[in-house]
This record gives sequence, C-alpha cells and structure tokens, in this order.
Amino acid sequence: MLEVRDLVTVYGAIEALKGVTLSAKQGEITCILGPNGAGKTTLMYSIAGILKPRSGSVSVNGREITGSSAPYALACGIALVPENRLVFPSMSVEENLRAGAFRRLRGDRSAVLEDIDKAYVRFPSLKRRRDQAAGTLSGGEQQMLAVARAMMSRPNILMMDEPSLGLAPLVVSEVFSIISQLNKEGVSILLVEQNAHKALQIASHVYLLDQGRVAFSGTPGDIGEDDIIQRAYLGSKAA
Amino acid sequence: MIDFIQTTLDGLSIGSAYALIALGFTLVFGVMRRINLSYGPSIMLGAFAGTWAFVTLEAQPWLVAVVTIAGTVAVGMYVERLCFWAIRKDAAIASMVSSFVIWMQLEEVATILLPGRTYPYPELFKFGGIDIGPYFLRMEHVTTLAVAMFMLVVLRLLLYRTRFGLALRAVSESSEAAVYMGISPVRITFWAFVFASFIGGVAGYLLLAADQQVTPYFGLWATFKGLIAMMLGGLGSIPGAIVGGLLLGVIEAHTQWYLGNAVKDLTAYLVLFLVLVLRPGGLLGQGIVERHAQAFRRI
Repeated sequence: MLEVRDLVTVYGAIEALKGVTLSAKQGEITCILGPNGAGKTTLMYSIAGILKPRSGSVSVNGREITGSSAPYALACGIALVPENRLVFPSMSVEENLRAGAFRRLRGDRSAVLEDIDKAYVRFPSLKRRRDQAAGTLSGGEQQMLAVARAMMSRPNILMMDEPSLGLAPLVVSEVFSIISQLNKEGVSILLVEQNAHKALQIASHVYLLDQGRVAFSGTPGDIGEDDIIQRAYLGSKAA
Repeated sequence: MIDFIQTTLDGLSIGSAYALIALGFTLVFGVMRRINLSYGPSIMLGAFAGTWAFVTLEAQPWLVAVVTIAGTVAVGMYVERLCFWAIRKDAAIASMVSSFVIWMQLEEVATILLPGRTYPYPELFKFGGIDIGPYFLRMEHVTTLAVAMFMLVVLRLLLYRTRFGLALRAVSESSEAAVYMGISPVRITFWAFVFASFIGGVAGYLLLAADQQVTPYFGLWATFKGLIAMMLGGLGSIPGAIVGGLLLGVIEAHTQWYLGNAVKDLTAYLVLFLVLVLRPGGLLGQGIVERHAQAFRRI
C-alpha cells in the first residue's frame, strides 16, 4: 500500500537519503532498522510530507503524494507517532486526542467522540487520566497517548519513530504488545526502532538502512538477529 | 478610606486598558514564544489613521473607532508577514529585533501622515460619569473595564471551546507535533496575530477616547505597559495578563496618589523586579514553566 521509490532527500549539501526504495504492505508490520544517522527519521519525514524529497516518489494505495504537504499526507491515511512522543504537555489527555482528530473535527464530531471512547477502551489508563495534563503522565503513558492521538486520524498506515526510546524495559514490552495488537486489528505499521531484538519479534518485513541506502531487505527469518545487530550497529563493512 | 477606594477604582480603570494590551501580547507570545515589540506602535499607527479620518475628513466617532481598529489589524498583518512569518521559528531573537526595527518605521509613517505632536481624538461619551455613594466613575473607564472582562470571556471561549482554539493551543505547546496532526502553524499564527491586533485596536481606541488626544509616543507607552503587565501576571497566561494589567494600574494609581508622579513608574518597575526574582514565571505563569520542564523529564 505504501510504495517508496528512489527517494532522495537532502539537508543542504548532505544527502541523507541516497535513493531509498521500499514498500509497506497492507496489514503488515514493516520494520526499519539501522544505526544512528542512517536516515530513518528523514525517511519518515519525507513520507509524511514534513520534508520535501529532492527526487523519487512516494505513493499510498496507488495515489502519488511525493512532496505534498503534511495535512495532505495525513488525509491520505499516513499518521506519524514522532520520536520523543511530543504530547501537548499542558493540554489534557482528552484534548490531546481531540487535537489528533483535528482534520475531522469540522465534519463528523460525533464520530470523533466515538473514536475517543474506543481509544479509552484500548488504553484504560488514559481514561483514568482523561482530564489530567498530558505532561504529568509517565513516559509509557505518554507513548500510549501519542499512539492513541495518531490513531484519531483513522490512518491506513501508522508510522512510529522509536516508540521504545527512553522507556523502562517492562514498559517497552507493553508498547510492543500494543503495536502487534493494533496490527491484528488491521492497522498497517511502519516501525523505526533501535531495539532490534524486540522489533524482529513482531516484524513481518525488515529493511536495514545504512548511510541513506537500503542495505538489506527481507523477512526476519532471512537474516539472523546477530547478523542484523552486526550490520545495523557495527556498520555493514564489519559483516 | 474614601481616597483609598477611589484611587483603587481609578487604578482598576486604567489597569483594564493595560490588561487588554497585555492580552494581545500574551496571545502572540503564547503561540509563538516570541515577543512583538512593535505591538504598541501598531496600535499607535492604527489610532493615527483614526485621528487622521477625524481631523481631515471630520469622520463620526464611530467611524474613527472602526478606522482605528481596522488600521491596527492591517498594521498587525504587515508586522506578522515581515517579522514573524518571514523569519523561522528557531531565529526568535531575529524576529524580536526586526519587530523593533518595524517600530521605528511605523513611527516614521505616523509622523509623515500627521507631522504634529498632538492630535485630538473624539470622545466616547458626551456625558461624564456615574456617582456611586461618595465615589465617582468615568463612563469611559467603566466601558474599558467591561470590554476587558468581555474580551477575557470571549478569548477563553475561543481557546477552550472551538476547533481554532484547540489548534492554537496545540501550536503553542509544540508546533512540531501540531504539524503531525495536520494543523498549519503558519495559518494559526497569522489568525492569532489578527486577533491580537483586534484586541489592541479596541484597547487603543478606548484609551485614547478617554484621553481625547493622541501622540506618536503612544506606541512606546503601550508596548511598555503591555510588556510589564504581561510579565507581572505571567508569561503566556491569559488570566495572568488580566491580573497583571489590573495590578499594574492599581499600583500606579496608589503610588501616584500617595508618593507623587515621579515615583509612579519607578514603583511599577520595582514591583516587576520583585515578582521576577521571587516568581520568575510571573504571578500566574509559574505553573506553565514548570509543567513544560517536567514533561520532558518523564521516563
């Protein structure tokens, strides 16, 4: 459903993406691994319309969205859970969820309220804290809120940038079980992770990104975990 | 005792005008975390457009009000495009400096439009005021107070009950995350500026109609009073802007009455200094400062 072809994105003179081709299939968890500076976040920003790629193409369900605005990418069903969660700290949990449905608030207000109730069923701890300022939640709860907020736009594909970053190990497991739960309910997921061990357990397809290029593409079974870790974190030359 | 209460009432009257100006500053600062120094001069130029219509075209007082407010909004849009829209978020100092430069430009334009020092400004009411027991209130001041309270209510409804308000608060909390929600910070910022300018135009009209005159120094005066009121009440806090404005008005009125005119501004600065030392976020702004710091420390 999501097709990325020969994507090149630059920051000034630095080529962060040097022609990335990948696809995320309907109903799957596609995982992107790679060392720091490989271009993982840049790739997500280029897909979501935050950064304008220099060349290449991005399409969702056959619809070309290359270089479109962030609101347009969102309207095409691409939602992003950003790194470090970025919840709105002084706003209540419920207001964060309403902000997530911003594009839909003009029309189907009652459907938005239904979706908020659904989010509370999925994340009971958010319901308990619905009127609490989001900044007072724990890191894990903030991550849940960031996911629930992104889901409020009813995306076809949910992109998650390092959802386990800075969380306690127990909370990380919880976050990953939520990701696979969402996936079972039919949400396609594009996951960027540093935690290769956890990511490989739930991924349907893995891409290894290194220095702006796809260094490996296959199923987790095609490549051993040791090999991934070797190539992702020690650099491909070591492998 | 009668003197004390009468002075307090006078202070609240002028303070409500300060509160309105501080409200405009707060709206812009809250959304962008940037200070628009040319806010006062924008109001001054709007008022000059109004008094120009009054002096040369002999416009009716209601028309002067319309020209003043519309003029302030137009100048506000100009400032936003030039100092804020054109300069990226990470260059906050650059937009503050350029808003200072625009300030100079606006004063020049005003003196070209009307080269004299002082111009008449039409009064709001022909009748004087109302007596409540031993106390006397000017109609203009009662109106200013009522308008300030009304604006506070409107602003709160706008911010907490509407889709635009939700987007505006989202942008002010994290414009980066707001983009991911499909909100356009550029558009939201523009409308926040328009609304702030509208409030400024109303405040300027009420103040000048009470004074019945306008000078090019009004811009400097408005920026100073608005900034002090905002910092007293709390940076980025809407109730803080109102509290800060009223407090500043009352402090000034009392020091003027008991200690004389020369001490008036000095006392205001002293109180500001003490507040900033004891509560750096302002009287009502401390919570916001702390919540933001906390949110990023969570694990």
